[in-house]
Amino acid sequence: MNHDPGSSQQVVVRLDGVHKEYGDAKALDGMSLEIHAGDAVAVMGPSGCGKSTLLNMVAGLDRPTSGTVEVRGQDLGTLNETGLALFRRRHIGMVFQFFNLIEDLPALDNVALAAQLTGTSARQARRRALELLDELGVADRKDTYPAALSGGERQRVAVARALMNRPALLLADEPTGALDSRSGEQVMDLLIDLNQIGQTLLLVTHDPRLATRCASRLIEVADGRVARESTLEPTA
Amino acid sequence: MSAVWSASRALLRRRKVQTAVIGLVVLCSTTTVLLALTLLSAATAPFERAFGEQRGAHVVAAFDRARASDAQLARTAGRPGVQAAAGPYLQAAVDIPEQWMWVPSGLLTIVGRSHPAGAVDRVRLLEGRWATKPGEIVVNWPVQGSPGPDKLGTKLTVRGAPALTVVGFATSMSKSAGAWVAPEQMAALHPSSVQMLYRFTESATDRQIRDGLAEATAGLPKGSLTTTQSYLTLKRAFSAMADSYLPFLTVFGVLGLLVSALIVGHVVSGVIVSGHRQIGVFKALGFTPNQVVAVYLAMVSVPAVAGCVAGTLLGDALSRPILRDAFSGIETGSAAIGVSPWVYAVCLLGMPALVALAALVPALRAHRLSAARAISAGDAPRTGRGLRVQRVLGGTRLPRAVSLGLGQPFARPGRTLMTLAAIVLGVTTVTLATGLTSTMVAFGRHGQGNGAAWVNVEAGRPGLDQRAPKLSDRQIEARLRSLPGADLVTARALTRVRLAGYTQTAFANFYRGDTRMYDSEIVKGHWPRGRGEAAASPAFLNQHGLAVGDRITLYLNGRQTRVTVVGELIEGNPQALESTWQTLAGLAPGWRAIEYTVELADGADAKAYARAVKASDPGLYVLPGASTNTTTATVVSFSVVFTVLLTFVAALGVFNTVLLNTRERRRDLGMLRSIGMTPRQVTVMTVVSVAGLGAVGGLLGIPLGIAVHRVLVDHVAVVAFPESMKDVWHVPQLAALALAGVVIAVLGALLPARSAARLTIAKVLHNE
Repeated sequence: MNHDPGSSQQVVVRLDGVHKEYGDAKALDGMSLEIHAGDAVAVMGPSGCGKSTLLNMVAGLDRPTSGTVEVRGQDLGTLNETGLALFRRRHIGMVFQFFNLIEDLPALDNVALAAQLTGTSARQARRRALELLDELGVADRKDTYPAALSGGERQRVAVARALMNRPALLLADEPTGALDSRSGEQVMDLLIDLNQIGQTLLLVTHDPRLATRCASRLIEVADGRVARESTLEPTA
Repeated sequence: MSAVWSASRALLRRRKVQTAVIGLVVLCSTTTVLLALTLLSAATAPFERAFGEQRGAHVVAAFDRARASDAQLARTAGRPGVQAAAGPYLQAAVDIPEQWMWVPSGLLTIVGRSHPAGAVDRVRLLEGRWATKPGEIVVNWPVQGSPGPDKLGTKLTVRGAPALTVVGFATSMSKSAGAWVAPEQMAALHPSSVQMLYRFTESATDRQIRDGLAEATAGLPKGSLTTTQSYLTLKRAFSAMADSYLPFLTVFGVLGLLVSALIVGHVVSGVIVSGHRQIGVFKALGFTPNQVVAVYLAMVSVPAVAGCVAGTLLGDALSRPILRDAFSGIETGSAAIGVSPWVYAVCLLGMPALVALAALVPALRAHRLSAARAISAGDAPRTGRGLRVQRVLGGTRLPRAVSLGLGQPFARPGRTLMTLAAIVLGVTTVTLATGLTSTMVAFGRHGQGNGAAWVNVEAGRPGLDQRAPKLSDRQIEARLRSLPGADLVTARALTRVRLAGYTQTAFANFYRGDTRMYDSEIVKGHWPRGRGEAAASPAFLNQHGLAVGDRITLYLNGRQTRVTVVGELIEGNPQALESTWQTLAGLAPGWRAIEYTVELADGADAKAYARAVKASDPGLYVLPGASTNTTTATVVSFSVVFTVLLTFVAALGVFNTVLLNTRERRRDLGMLRSIGMTPRQVTVMTVVSVAGLGAVGGLLGIPLGIAVHRVLVDHVAVVAFPESMKDVWHVPQLAALALAGVVIAVLGALLPARSAARLTIAKVLHNE
């Protein structure tokens, strides 16, 4: 379900003049952008250009030095740490390059944990987690600890965890960066499928193949700013 | 199940060693704290409760009836500072026959009272009824329980008066009398004094008691007040044995609490420092900062609560024999000795609270941690100081594995300090326990002279279904001396005497024979040698306000004699003093010994000697010689248990540190292996990283342990250890103790060091 830039669909993410500085270093330098519901947006750029900082701002993991970040109409700057955590658990799912699964929990509990945070009972959370693992093809690995999973399996579990609370926005930071090509392909297919059914995606990647296969919009970032924005044609 | 609980459970499951350590440490600490609090509570609360229930007398005072009239004494009740008073009651001191009602012969204080109630000293009747007419007597029963109704009706023959029949047993927490009779009976007992019982508005200290009494008796003729007894003295006597345990248990309790806090803080900070990325993930998932803290608190709470409950149960089981021992032979009266409920409440609530507090400090770091930074950093960043030290050490001529190991503690100063503290505590405990064991073993041997075997021989008492000896007192002594194997022989007589200035009677032992065998029992002065010399235990001197050199008058059989305290015993009965046969001769000529102690010659067979004694006179009964000193056994047992536990805990602290360090440095280790470091070098580097800390810990822990040992042995009120028992340190022993820190450190480090050495390089370097 791809959309043209500037469509009239509901705005899910809006950044307005966002600056972020770490000491003397500028990570974001007045970045502004909008992402609409159902969009699949890829953010690309060289190392240190501010891609991950952008993702952290949208996830509410970090705060801008100045400017506003709105997600689903909520100005994240007005929320305290607890408010950000509550917002994140309800509206945002995150997938990381290195999976970031809880090493002490088996796959099923890693996924269920996200739902338990919203108050879902452990039983219901596990049932839904199993459904998701099944959909993603890793249900047979539900009792396995992350250390014993392959990279592709770990990322599928991470995606399942990110989708557990049906987030409005799925953020992915180099989701195929730590995977072999076959596993990377599987994850790409997964993201395409998710977007097809209406999931809004924001991907940060170095990989042009991932961007062109999964995204309908490409935002190129340089020196903390949007250098170029383009629409991508879907590839087979 | 909440998300917090799920996450905590997962952390717990994967940290079985740390979980077990926390549980074990909390168990030990709770046990010791419960024991210390139990003794603390039993030493005061039961006395105060029973004393309060009886409205006990703050002062029992006796007045010379020739100098102060009843009217004058009655008026003292209205003096300022007197809250309540009872009396005047006539008082007499009478001689009682040998072996009457389990009470040693000697003086019995009898008071004429028409009823047991009153504004002060509400005497509790245990059996029978109160004496209402002449010929009846109620006997004070100062120990727990009651002699039973079958002893009612026993006769007491008093010289110069008609026989008295026991109609009741009662107990007075004020110890106002040995027995009570109806006032009409008193004339026949020839009372020489009058008793007044006072309660004062201010009575917390000795000074307040003295001031209160001075104010109350201010208007009386000079010299009319003859004896006084403060309830504070009774209170001290009540807790004398418990007080001897308290310093030990308090020190071990405090050590236990410190170790608990340290280990919990150590484990939690370790989990947090090594789990930065995990904290970031928790936060990215939507855990609030408080929930992240709750995850870590819940993680330690489970073993802490389990350890606390188990420790409370164990402490409760151990407290019973200790309480029994601490109050055996103590005149507890109506005070019920037991564990107060607040002790359990404090342990069950306080220990988990302490653990939570210890965990909270490092857990707050997780609260503050920026999610973005945590998730990107993975592990806590290392400090520049550590890197600088590594650079300096790298320039030395030390083997690289050693210099790398020596530099590691500087990379994480906080963790290093906690590890050092664990080692210092471990070495302190080992030092303290070594010192205490040496002191207590020396103390246990002090009553055994030069180590030769010895036996006690008692003359049979027909009243106790024993055969009377055929030989006279002096003949028995001579016979024992003549039997093969005997070296030194002493004879001992026991009686109750009254001390001038004190209402309560005291036990007095009088010795004759080769009393040099008791010279080693003296810590200050010397053993009594001639007429008018006495020695006593520290507890006796303390409770009577006496010191070596003081003089005191003893009364017995209507006679009196002045004795000088010439010696202080290392320890002994808090209610008894020791003197010579010549002193007894001045008080009660013709008195006979009840026990003979025979020290055998080197190589003599105690059993053969006992057979010879029995053969020479069937009326002589040989008792086993040495018995284990309970206090010694208890303290030594505690020392050993705590040494083992705290050494184990200190080693586990090191183990935890090294485990965290190696986990954190997996990639570094993999890299070092990849460039040619051998597994052996990895082991050396890892062990060296804590061995230095062990050496420093040893150097700090030894003086600390010696200082704590000195404080402890100087504060056992019922024992005055001589310098020879306190100065137990020797160079080889101290050198061995100095190695204790290194041993603890190496023991703790070896297992994770070997595991680090076995890391598969490819796997480690490929990881992430």
